[in-house]
Amino acid sequence: MSGEREEAPASGRRATAESMAAQQRSISVSEFFTKNRHLLGFDNPRKALLTTVKEAVDNSLDACEEAGIVPEIWVQITPTNNSRFKVAIQDNGPGIVKKQVPLIFGKLLYGSKFHRLRMSRGQQGIGISAAGMYGQLTTGKPIKIVSKTHKTKPAHYFEIHINTKTNSPDILNGKGEGEDIPPGDKGQAYCQKNEIEWINDYPLENPEDKPQPIASGTRVTIELEGQHKRGKGSVDEFLEQTAIANPHVTIHYWDPEGQSRTWRRATRTLPPEPKEIKPHPYGVELGRLMTMIKEQPTSTTLSAFLTENFSRVSAGVARKICETAKLSTRSTLKKIAQSDVDKLFQAIQETKIAAPATDCLVPIGEPLLLQGLYQVVPGEFFTVASRPPAVYRGNPFLIEVGLAYGGTVSTKKVNKEELVALLNETDARTVKQFLVSTFDGLGPDGADKIISASGIGTRQNPSKLKRTEVEELFTAMQDVSVSETQQMQLYRYANRVPLQFKMGDCLVTKTASSLNWRSYGLSQSRGALPNGPLTLMVHVASVWVPFTSESKEAIASYDEIEKEIRLAVQTVGRRLSAFLRLRSNIRQEGERRNIFLRYLGEVAAAVSDINGFNRGQLYEELLAVAQKKTREADTKLDKHGKRVTDEAELNSDNVLIVETPLLAGEGLSTGGVATGKGQVHDTEAVRSLKKKGAPRAPRTKREKTKRTKR
Amino acid sequence: MAKRKQAPAETAKRTEPVKLSSKDKKTLSSLVVMADRVVEAAHKAKPPAIDIPSRSLSNVRFNKAQKIIEMGGGKNKRELFNLSQAKSYMQTMLVGSGCKRLIDEGKTTSIRGLYYLLKHTIEGTKEETFNDQAECDPVIEDVEVALDALREELHLYAQTKGAMVGPIEITDSGDEIDCSRMGSGGYAIPSIVEPERIQFRKHAAKFVLHVEKDTVWQRFNEDKFWKKHHCILTHGGGQPPRGVRRLLNRLHYELKLPVYCLLDNDPWGYYIYSVIKQGSINLAFESRRMAIPEAKYVGLRSKDYERCGLSSSVKIRLNDTDKKRAKQIASYPWFEHKKEWQKEIQQMISNDFKLEVESLISKDISYVTEVYVPQRLQDRDFLD
Ligand SMILES: Nc1ncnc2c1ncn2[C@@H]1O[C@H](COP(=O)(O)OP(=O)(O)O)[C@@H](O)[C@H]1O
Ligand SMILES: [Mg+2]
Repeated sequence: MSGEREEAPASGRRATAESMAAQQRSISVSEFFTKNRHLLGFDNPRKALLTTVKEAVDNSLDACEEAGIVPEIWVQITPTNNSRFKVAIQDNGPGIVKKQVPLIFGKLLYGSKFHRLRMSRGQQGIGISAAGMYGQLTTGKPIKIVSKTHKTKPAHYFEIHINTKTNSPDILNGKGEGEDIPPGDKGQAYCQKNEIEWINDYPLENPEDKPQPIASGTRVTIELEGQHKRGKGSVDEFLEQTAIANPHVTIHYWDPEGQSRTWRRATRTLPPEPKEIKPHPYGVELGRLMTMIKEQPTSTTLSAFLTENFSRVSAGVARKICETAKLSTRSTLKKIAQSDVDKLFQAIQETKIAAPATDCLVPIGEPLLLQGLYQVVPGEFFTVASRPPAVYRGNPFLIEVGLAYGGTVSTKKVNKEELVALLNETDARTVKQFLVSTFDGLGPDGADKIISASGIGTRQNPSKLKRTEVEELFTAMQDVSVSETQQMQLYRYANRVPLQFKMGDCLVTKTASSLNWRSYGLSQSRGALPNGPLTLMVHVASVWVPFTSESKEAIASYDEIEKEIRLAVQTVGRRLSAFLRLRSNIRQEGERRNIFLRYLGEVAAAVSDINGFNRGQLYEELLAVAQKKTREADTKLDKHGKRVTDEAELNSDNVLIVETPLLAGEGLSTGGVATGKGQVHDTEAVRSLKKKGAPRAPRTKREKTKRTKR
Repeated sequence: MAKRKQAPAETAKRTEPVKLSSKDKKTLSSLVVMADRVVEAAHKAKPPAIDIPSRSLSNVRFNKAQKIIEMGGGKNKRELFNLSQAKSYMQTMLVGSGCKRLIDEGKTTSIRGLYYLLKHTIEGTKEETFNDQAECDPVIEDVEVALDALREELHLYAQTKGAMVGPIEITDSGDEIDCSRMGSGGYAIPSIVEPERIQFRKHAAKFVLHVEKDTVWQRFNEDKFWKKHHCILTHGGGQPPRGVRRLLNRLHYELKLPVYCLLDNDPWGYYIYSVIKQGSINLAFESRRMAIPEAKYVGLRSKDYERCGLSSSVKIRLNDTDKKRAKQIASYPWFEHKKEWQKEIQQMISNDFKLEVESLISKDISYVTEVYVPQRLQDRDFLD
């Protein structure tokens, strides 16, 4: 933690980077890199592939947002031989000016966001040049960049090697100057001739549309040693989770197997630009305070130091701090001794200082989060909640959560060919291990269920399954209902960036597991995440997200943050339980009607056979009794008051209920009643749910396929 | 509405209508009462329901004076508009309509036949009125108790199971039958053995020996045990069906013949004895016609392994259900105070094995007919 804090303040940061660089002069950059691989996200080939994509995508998103462009990103991964991949990421961002390109991509630790104290994605990565470095170290191939800043101006193309001795770029093409690509058709021809990859136009919505050229943007290509595997910690997962938290982005993805997928944006509105802020005094540790004092001109007065370097410190507050510390406001920093810094630090803690301004936080916002979640996660119930900004140790932060319920389990999302491919690429030693590690949220119980239904042995080696066994496994995956044993999927985010590793260490996981989900109508084993077809996403937005370690993959525990997460998750949990109750009521009513109606015909016929009474008349009379009976049952629920409050809970803008066959009264699917007169009439509840289901975002791929399925 | 075969024209081509017996008329009228109640309820916009006397252990009591199990007054309401009862309500009405049709047409059928008569897909669904016979049988028994009608009064009979040989001549549906001249198969005991159908003409028997299974029965028949010992030999194919029990009951009461039961030394054998002696829990309403409180047990005993010097290979280990059943039987009110029986059951449990009658064959093929049973009868070594 302390290491991170030292990097924090705006002005001091560059000096730190430089002093680091000075220290590293004696060892080569490549040595430094190799030594710190694990911190940088290149500890294994699989993670290296992910980190490369992640660095580039984060940069693209940041650049687009900063330039006010609605982002569209293309991610293409192609295998070049069995352990090497060519990773290309293109965006429609502002592009990069020619002279900056070599520095950004050919010099380690050359960044811009690194120094600022504001909510940004860049806080996590070490920079795109590190990915280039990794590629160069493992394949010897240069990093390739195309960047275009204007529609009518030439684009530049660079092939860059990082000089590991001097930590500086060597440009390999255009006689060390790079190449210019003319705009328009000429440029296209040039690219083709020189085998430079660049996507010219946006994909067409309709084949008849006129192609829409991409006016500006950047394309980064890195060839590296990697490994491609789906499931937890994969590129697929990262892109999917990114799409949820960034509903304004469209991502096109071609995976190494040649399959493509698109996550479409749910909105064209960009998040507002985050503001930079000065650190709040409460958030500064003693060591940091000392460094800050040292970095100021020694002639600065204590009062000026406090008011100029911290937020929420007015002259009055500075005076109070100094009084408590028994120091003069006018004494210069030169005169401040070590013991005085201690007193000053102590005084800061004791002085009442207003909480930091929170307008520096940019939440995703409930409506967009709801749409993002709906767009990406299949389900029938979606709800979001966002908490007002709060402060931990002087750092403003804010929690947003989203919850999706229902939908298909990941085991049902694959087709047979994909299953065969997955079985081939896995390094799990048993089928059970394979299922658990490949399919999110399935869990060991679900895997057991599938395996026992398929009739193949648990201890089977997944890559050695016979054709018929694969066949059986596939059938079982489709047939077995694992929604009960399935574990909740938890998506964690820090400043819109998905956290994919160190799940168990993360405060988000700990908090979500410690809640009592059983009271919301879910099953849960002690201290674990609940079971069911659930996805919970938790976003921690802050100018300074506290991570447990340098690799920045898990959020550290702070009481204030934990409390906010808990409150937010409880809110969505309550809504889920209202939904589940309502749904089960409706289902019960449906079943009740159904069963009552189902046998009326038989009873009327039998009675009429015995005593000769008119069958049709008896049927009508029994039908009337049946309807009266169910109405009574319905009003009974009303009197309990449950239905009423549940509906109020669900009747809000941060809830989205997808019309499902069940709620549409499809309980009668097995046939209904012979005469057709006994059709179920919508109750208030069903009607209102249908209404709620209406505001669905149009234009999504998923929806189209869903519709045709119906 | 529901697809049902209305009385097909070809078979209904009768010149004269079926003559209904007075019993038939009585049964018909109670069926009509049952149906009228449904119409009545529907008229009043009330949910229809039917009361069915409960056939569970909690609704039987042991009549100490008469030594039979009797049904109590407990009733269960079966409602059409109750989620868990709707289907069985419908099935009850269906069984009623099936019986009505049988009576109308003057026919009887097996319970399996009725099941097929009533089984069809409920229109507009994929659901069957009855999934299997096991679902139909208890509903038939429900109708019997609800209407207070005997099975044969509903024109139903169970599958025949059980046989008889011995020095007795009877008339069955007008045919004269000499049970001492029945070859190796014996006379198959029908399901309905009421005096209207079967009359005893003459006999020279001193007692009835009822054995559990037909394999044992065949041993006794082949060895002509009944000739030597002047007895009637019957079996019931395991748990004896109602016809066999009713016949034993009539032989005992009308001909004053003592009944001895040769059963296995296991919980199942004990239970068969219990059913023959004081009636079954499920059919407690029939006890009065069926039970034989004087029946004696000459079956295998827990002490026989030692007493007869059997080899250890004939032992069959008790499994968990056996032990549970044994304890349950020991706690029946009609066994509870019988010291001999308590000792017997206890010993079986502590033996931890059971013995079948057939195990005696390990000594000698005819040991059971020539030594074991004669000796037991001679010593009057029974359990009661
Ligand atoms: N795709 C891009 N489009 C525009 N600018 C970019 C792009 N990628 C990187 N940059 C610029 O290069 C800088 C350095 O990037 P990087 O090395 O990843 O560090 P960081 O993201 O931490 O700033 C970014 O801050 C940004 O100004
Ligand atoms: Mg970056």
